Amino acid sequence: MPPKVDPHKCDGCKGEKEAICMAICPGDLMYLNEDTLKAYCRSPRDCWDCMSCVKACPQGAIETRLPYQLGYYPAKLIPLMGSKRVSWTCIGQDDKVERFSYKNRND
Amino acid sequence: MKMLAKGRILVVGGGIAGLTAAERLARAGAGVVLVEKSPYLGGRVARLHRYYPRMCPPRCGLEVLINNIRGFPHVETHLLTEVIDVKKASSGIHTVTLLKKPRRVMDTCTACGLCETACPAEKKTSFCSQAIKAIRGPGDWAHPATFWVDEGMCRGRDCSLCVQACPEQAVDLSQQPEETDLDVQGIIIATGTELYDASLIKEYGYGRLPGVITAMELESFFRPDGPAGGLPVHPATGEPLRRVAFIQCAGSRNANHLPYCSGYCCTVTLKQVEYLHQSLKDVQTWIFYQDIRTPGNREEYYRHVREEYRPVFIRGLPSSIKYRPETGELTVKCVDTLSRKEVRGRFDLVVLATGMAPPALPEFYGIERDGSGFFSGHIPCEPTELRRPGIWAAGSVQSPMDAEESVKSALAAVAQCLVKLRQQPAAFPALDQRKCDRCGRCVKECPYGACIPGSDGYPAADPGDCRGCGICQGGCPLLCINLPGYGSKKIEEVVDKVLTRGGPEMAILLFLCGNDAYPAWNSLIKQQKGKGLEGIMPMVVPCIGAVNAAWVSEALIGGLDGVMLAGCRPDQCHHAAGTSLAATRLDNLKETLTRMRLEPERVSLTQVTIDDSLKLFKEIQNFKSSLEKLGPNPFK
Repeated sequence: MPPKVDPHKCDGCKGEKEAICMAICPGDLMYLNEDTLKAYCRSPRDCWDCMSCVKACPQGAIETRLPYQLGYYPAKLIPLMGSKRVSWTCIGQDDKVERFSYKNRND
Repeated sequence: MKMLAKGRILVVGGGIAGLTAAERLARAGAGVVLVEKSPYLGGRVARLHRYYPRMCPPRCGLEVLINNIRGFPHVETHLLTEVIDVKKASSGIHTVTLLKKPRRVMDTCTACGLCETACPAEKKTSFCSQAIKAIRGPGDWAHPATFWVDEGMCRGRDCSLCVQACPEQAVDLSQQPEETDLDVQGIIIATGTELYDASLIKEYGYGRLPGVITAMELESFFRPDGPAGGLPVHPATGEPLRRVAFIQCAGSRNANHLPYCSGYCCTVTLKQVEYLHQSLKDVQTWIFYQDIRTPGNREEYYRHVREEYRPVFIRGLPSSIKYRPETGELTVKCVDTLSRKEVRGRFDLVVLATGMAPPALPEFYGIERDGSGFFSGHIPCEPTELRRPGIWAAGSVQSPMDAEESVKSALAAVAQCLVKLRQQPAAFPALDQRKCDRCGRCVKECPYGACIPGSDGYPAADPGDCRGCGICQGGCPLLCINLPGYGSKKIEEVVDKVLTRGGPEMAILLFLCGNDAYPAWNSLIKQQKGKGLEGIMPMVVPCIGAVNAAWVSEALIGGLDGVMLAGCRPDQCHHAAGTSLAATRLDNLKETLTRMRLEPERVSLTQVTIDDSLKLFKEIQNFKSSLEKLGPNPFK
């Protein structure tokens, strides 16, 4: 299912050439709308839900909609990156919240 | 010659501020390119008769400056030249594009004036000035003593009478404009500003009534190139002046015109009253004023003029001026606010003391303006420097100024400029090129434009431009920029410490802006002796904009209960954009936290000034009590 971009939070990475979600997407699916300079997924069907863009977005502007096989609305899976830790918040369709956090970098 | 200061500086404007700046920089050994829009150096000061406080003729000061400038081989002077573009080429270097308009008279000109006599194109600009020709000379005094052709008036090569008249063959009507590019290390903008257009004050009838002139025009009456060759006579009748009125605050301190006081006009009027009385025995002078503003030692001059020449002071501004063609007299009507009676006076000449209008400046300098429309630097810390480093302002582009203040501000700009040219490398952000993906966010967010991509695409800060605010570090999505002493490592250490300590006690990370919040915090711990501040881990950053959102996330994921950022008020941020960038980053994070079912109140941004320690204490207490209500961080 497609990554959803919050147009209020996305700032098109203010960058010169390539936004970070564009650079990181392994399927080359993320693009910037040339007029609004906001990111969008150009082919939602091709997205594998790897969530690289969600984790990489410096503005926290991208959210993944879970595929129905995993959980119906309002189920959510939300990563949050620290400088050397990552956390995952899983919200089940029964509204149960589970949180995990671990170190993912040692330098 | 040994260059003491490396580099080359562009000075824009050849008035008193620009000349002072160029001359001092040249004496310090810096290369200087001096650019002046008009055909002559000297600016408005060169058109004065005398300048206060010492009442010396302006040629005295200007001549010293210009002679020195001519003597230095490392000063280039370009007249009739304008800056049409400024680009930041690489860190610390500006590329400027100059447009040189043709003078059409070569240096071989001896200023004999035969061409001016031959020229058929003639124009009278105002009733009190002599007619001017399309090819004309510098007038009474100016540098260089070379004629020039006014493109707007010249009848072109079909006429060519001046070419035939010139015995030196110095006139060349075929010269074309030239564009050149130039790399400079710094730019001093000394373009000055225009005086307020007196014709906009309808009730005084400037431009409509003969006999109503501006103070600047009265100045020319006393000069050999003035309307009557230096004699203070009425320009229309040729009679000596008998009754002269001065109207102060003409278009100043008035919401419909200029809201501010230009500061110098009162002294100018007093000076002109002195000229008039010195050269004419039977002259009467009246001054219509709101307040006479002569700060500092000028008060003494005011007293001197008042007691020596006894001008009539009327406190009130005239409501109307009427002209009688039969007698050529002007009737000025005014209510004297002290006696509350109407006063009428008949005059030969009415002089409007106009102030300075805000400068018209092209966009490419990126100048920020203050409320009145003048250049605004960072007052009081960096009053002469633009937020774009490497560009300074001098003279009346900054605020209305007289010659003395212009020279002072030029010297201040030169001092700043030399500091930049001789800058020693200071602590500034280090880039980890292995991590950087050249996204360009730091380039966009740097409030000083100091961070510029190099030829390899990696951003590089210029040591002379960077002010070490760390906003680049705060915005970097890949955490690959680190200010020495402030990087991610420190945050991680704090988080690790809290994690290893464990326990249920509340732990709050408090980021403090080093400019205001940290001194406020310091006085707070002295006042409170640690009471009420338990569990707070303070962390100083150069600017609150240097806090990366990932650090705040790191602290929350690591189990700290809350993160508080204490920065300056947005309008007081020492690095302009820090507080607003921090607010945007925190708002984004709060939205994500809400989706994560984590209370957004766990992060907070507060704005304090340096003496707000009590406010900071209250904010901390409020934050702590709201965290107590929320309970411990679920990541703990």
